Amino acid sequence: MKRIVLCFVLLSLLAVLLSFFTLVSGPVDIPWDGLWSSRIFWELRLPRVVAALLSGVALSVAGLSLQTVFRNPLAGPFVLGISSGASFAVALSMLAGLSFGHLGTLGAAAVGSLAVTSLVLGISCRFRNNTVLLVAGLLIGYFIDACISLLISWSDAESLRVYVSWGMGSFGRLAPGSLWIFAVAVLVGLLLVGASVRYLNGARLGDEFARGLGIPVGFYKKLVLLGSSILAASVTAFCGPVAFLGIAVPHLAYLLLRTTNHRVLLPASALCGSVIALLAGLFPTYPLNAVLSLVGVPVILWVLVRHSAKEEL
Amino acid sequence: MLLECRRLSFGYAKPLAEPLDFSVTEGQVVALLGENGSGKSTLLKTFGGMIPPLEGSLELEGQSVAAYGLRELARKVALVRMGLAVPDQMTVEEFVSLGRSPYAGVLDGRSAEDNRIVEESLREMDLESFKDRAVAELSDGERSRVFLARALAQRVKLLLLDEPDAFMDIPRRKNLFVTLQKISREKGMTVILSTHWVDYAEKYADKILCFGRNAVVEALAAEARKLGLLDWAEV
Repeated sequence: MKRIVLCFVLLSLLAVLLSFFTLVSGPVDIPWDGLWSSRIFWELRLPRVVAALLSGVALSVAGLSLQTVFRNPLAGPFVLGISSGASFAVALSMLAGLSFGHLGTLGAAAVGSLAVTSLVLGISCRFRNNTVLLVAGLLIGYFIDACISLLISWSDAESLRVYVSWGMGSFGRLAPGSLWIFAVAVLVGLLLVGASVRYLNGARLGDEFARGLGIPVGFYKKLVLLGSSILAASVTAFCGPVAFLGIAVPHLAYLLLRTTNHRVLLPASALCGSVIALLAGLFPTYPLNAVLSLVGVPVILWVLVRHSAKEEL
Repeated sequence: MLLECRRLSFGYAKPLAEPLDFSVTEGQVVALLGENGSGKSTLLKTFGGMIPPLEGSLELEGQSVAAYGLRELARKVALVRMGLAVPDQMTVEEFVSLGRSPYAGVLDGRSAEDNRIVEESLREMDLESFKDRAVAELSDGERSRVFLARALAQRVKLLLLDEPDAFMDIPRRKNLFVTLQKISREKGMTVILSTHWVDYAEKYADKILCFGRNAVVEALAAEARKLGLLDWAEV
């Protein structure tokens, strides 16, 4: 218990400090007395901090939920193709010229990610095999990437430039007017996942076990997948296809907290995710996905090595 | 009567045996004996409401099992299967605490009473010193006791155990049967378990259900051998 409280306090402090540092630092020096009246503060730095916080929270919670539902430590919005579904919808908007507007882009991304989630869920029900699931997710991702490639080949240079820039991911392109839409979407996703904590705690041991605990598995599984899809879609719509947070952060949260209880793991993942996102956001001149991958790849490799080492024992 | 079935056909697509008439009262221990694949696990799942009966009636405390809500049923029946894969990191205490899930709210919190029941269940299964260890790191026998502790924490009236002694050494197996008999007597909990250990079933169970080729035959544990129901198990 002491460990949990200490971790939460430290992570919260870190998140506050990093948020503060991001707000007051940047290429342009703003004097303290002019901070509140500065347009740079309100229109660039504040949206950047909010985007990093929301993305970190959303992707980490979505990743943890998917890893639990599919009982696979390597599941995540990217691995299962869910982020690709959202990306395709955004690509349609940017490359095919189908302008959806801010709300429309979010809606399209949500529909894209939900479509892939449903497909993956169907496959997981049919095969009940984690390997098949991962392969299916990757294949769906490849298929969607192929569709996006076709869109790229048909698009003009300007659309392509915008799309490539979006594909690198960034917390810096969130318009102040879209903040509330992003926040509401993340809140809805969090509420859906948060209402399913009892299911998530039982689901780690399989659907049959969870049902034996009196949990309506079918209902809650759909609720969690809907919530995770909204979370992944909202980040993709507003910040681009941000990789690795979803898959890596839940493992970091476990390493720190040493518990499998989702009452603790969900908020812990959210905090870890926001801290890592804020850290990555400190390097705005580098592509966000490159910075995140430098953190994410070692974590995933560590998980893989640890799992294979256990199996050999 | 706690559990009562009349002309019960059980199985997935087609019946595994002739229709079964069977009843059990509070505090009894019933052993299911029979070869692998004879339908013991399927009958346990049917009793637990996980598989619907193909035909006939199945009542728990006078109400059809199918009519119970999931949560309500989970407060009355627990099915324990030993082949469960527990996540690497889950501790014994966390796992046993899952037994309180049917009593928890939306956010899956635990009250002081829940924690007391978890502690008591750990103590009953002699697991207090293990509570912070990962379930996955325990021996098969130790893990079986953890699975039982979770079911005890669920505070059910009907405990269904699918070969709970499968991975146990002889002293642990004896302890298990003694404990199950004690729990059934003291708590009034009915225990129905499948086992291949005929001697223990005869000694510690009240009733035996023998799974033959096409029929399931019920007998008092003390009379099953005399009736020739255990001839198939003779050495």
